[in-house]
Amino acid sequence: MNQAEFNRRTFMALMGATAASGAFGTAARAQEALKLWAPGIAKVGAQDWSDMESQAGISINAIAKSARADESIQKMVVGDGNALYDAMTDNGGGMEDALASQGAIAELDISRIPNWANILESYQEGGDSADTIRHDGKVYAVPYISNADSLAFNHEVIGEELTSWEALFDSQFRGRAAMQNDFGPTLTNTAIYLKQSGKGDIDNPSDMTEDEVRQTCEFLIDLKKKGHFRTFWDGVQNGADLLSSEEVLVSSCWEVIQIFAARKNGQDIRYGTMKEGHQSWNNIVMLTRGGQERGMEEAFYSLANVYLSPWFGAQTLAGLGFTPQMTGVSEFVEANGDMFDDDTKAIMAERLERKQARRAVAGNSWQNVFPTNIRAYQDWWSRVQAA
Amino acid sequence: MAVQSTETVGGARPVDRTTPPWRERLVPWVFRAPLIFMVIFFALPMAMTVVFSVFERTMFWMEPGFTLFSYENFFFSARLTNFLNSMKYSLISVAICFVFGFPIAVFVRKSIPQVAQHRVVLLFILPFMVSEIIRVFALRPVLQRNGLVNTTLMDLGIIDEPITALLYTHTGVVIGEVLSFLPFIVFSGFLAMEAVPKYIFEVCDDLGVGPWRRFKDVILPLAAPGIFAGSVFIFVNGLGVALLPNILGGAGAVNAGLIATQAITALDFPLAMAVSAIMMATLMTLLWIGHRLFDLTKILTPLS
Repeated sequence: MNQAEFNRRTFMALMGATAASGAFGTAARAQEALKLWAPGIAKVGAQDWSDMESQAGISINAIAKSARADESIQKMVVGDGNALYDAMTDNGGGMEDALASQGAIAELDISRIPNWANILESYQEGGDSADTIRHDGKVYAVPYISNADSLAFNHEVIGEELTSWEALFDSQFRGRAAMQNDFGPTLTNTAIYLKQSGKGDIDNPSDMTEDEVRQTCEFLIDLKKKGHFRTFWDGVQNGADLLSSEEVLVSSCWEVIQIFAARKNGQDIRYGTMKEGHQSWNNIVMLTRGGQERGMEEAFYSLANVYLSPWFGAQTLAGLGFTPQMTGVSEFVEANGDMFDDDTKAIMAERLERKQARRAVAGNSWQNVFPTNIRAYQDWWSRVQAA
Repeated sequence: MAVQSTETVGGARPVDRTTPPWRERLVPWVFRAPLIFMVIFFALPMAMTVVFSVFERTMFWMEPGFTLFSYENFFFSARLTNFLNSMKYSLISVAICFVFGFPIAVFVRKSIPQVAQHRVVLLFILPFMVSEIIRVFALRPVLQRNGLVNTTLMDLGIIDEPITALLYTHTGVVIGEVLSFLPFIVFSGFLAMEAVPKYIFEVCDDLGVGPWRRFKDVILPLAAPGIFAGSVFIFVNGLGVALLPNILGGAGAVNAGLIATQAITALDFPLAMAVSAIMMATLMTLLWIGHRLFDLTKILTPLS
């Protein structure tokens, strides 16, 4: 074998080895777990993610995430989130814009999600919620839950049905009230109350001007200085503990918190329908740019397909009280009678009815966690925290 | 002075006696290593913290520039009040830790056989084997409105209404700080007590010196550097550990660590840096005062 032949053979062998290792690498990547940065409420079924994994046919490596928008921005825009996570969740209606504008998430190919056909009509182009999953007209996110947040209250102690946000700020509950430690929902809920009660000059509670933010925060600062708020809650567990331990009697919170708080000691803790309106929101799942670069698209689309399946929608409604984002849930429940007993079916029907009632209230606002004047929100919120 | 050799041994290459072996060349660097370590991991980050604190804030990060806005933002807002309040409550924690912790250190030094002393002190490490977040969270069911303390006191008929000041207040934070940091005053107190020879107690007994005078005129002056070191440690943690006010403090109890955390939450990194720089300056001033008063190098005297 001459030198030239040796070189050619060696080159061919090396090429073959490279190709083989590449193919092996692709196969290995395909089996790699999807690194999903999401809160616990993004799963249904088993306590761990096993049911979600078997439905999607993928492995999921879930990393716990809070509901704070600033944390997402820090990780994904300033920090190393794209190196750490293949997919992530957050609030729709602003976060997908912020993250897509910074190149932190990837555009989605909806043709790769068969259950996209089930998605609620409001998410279709031109629909009321269409913008909450799009940036510059392109789809960047898949919605998996939504709700209209309200006031949870201890009916056992209070003894009456609360139907106005007035109760949250009423001096009779001084030191027994709580709100969320997040400027998005807390300022929006307060602004809804100020606007509808005529106590504030606010045009759009979801996306306030600097002066409107100031009014809202000064109202909260005044109450905080009077010792009105026991604390500001972070996370489901904290929010539920506050209500179930009777540290607070009224709390603006997510419905899942009211459900967990009531379930904990069997207390009569209810979730009201507020006459001034509510803050509507949805949660979305997104493919990170890093996830796309690592070839995790297929796994992501498999998971996204589960999120738009009636299997997920029915269970998130039954277990956590969130609104399904797809059609066909009732049919799924009927067709799978063994999955839900009669009591659960009744609870699901009652929850859906109350959700429709809350949604029907004039004055409801869409949560925009990335408002136009975000600097004013951040600055004034830090003043509320420091007051 | 080294002499250059030109001799060859068995035709081998001449040995250059002017070049010291690599081990010898390495020796000075071994002694410089701690200095290099301190510069890279202590002085440089501290300097960067001060530099970043005067940078301009951008939407998601910060950019080079010079502005004192972050300091203005700190000193002319409720943050200063919160910072001063957290200093006050940290001092209270230090005092409580001293009252409970130092007698333990004195007791161990005075009454426990010498062979067992270190083992007894090591027992105080046990709580640190449980994650701090779990330890602090575990206080909630104890201190809350219908928690263990209130339920017990009400069952015993001592109180009619639950005490609500135990949680989500400054008091809650102080309770958390005392339970978290008490071991530090025990450790430093024990080390400080090594500066007090055991025969001192016998001499005091022989002279009929009462416990208070013995403590005030003998033990305290001798153990002062160690006590101060332990107190500074508790004080600084009280100022800087955001976990405690976050979990136990409620809406009104905010310390410097939480102010910095909140600034990061608002993506205001220059403000967070300014808060950290102010904390560092406070600590440095405290250490300087302590050194002037107690000569902190004495802490290590018994060990040298």
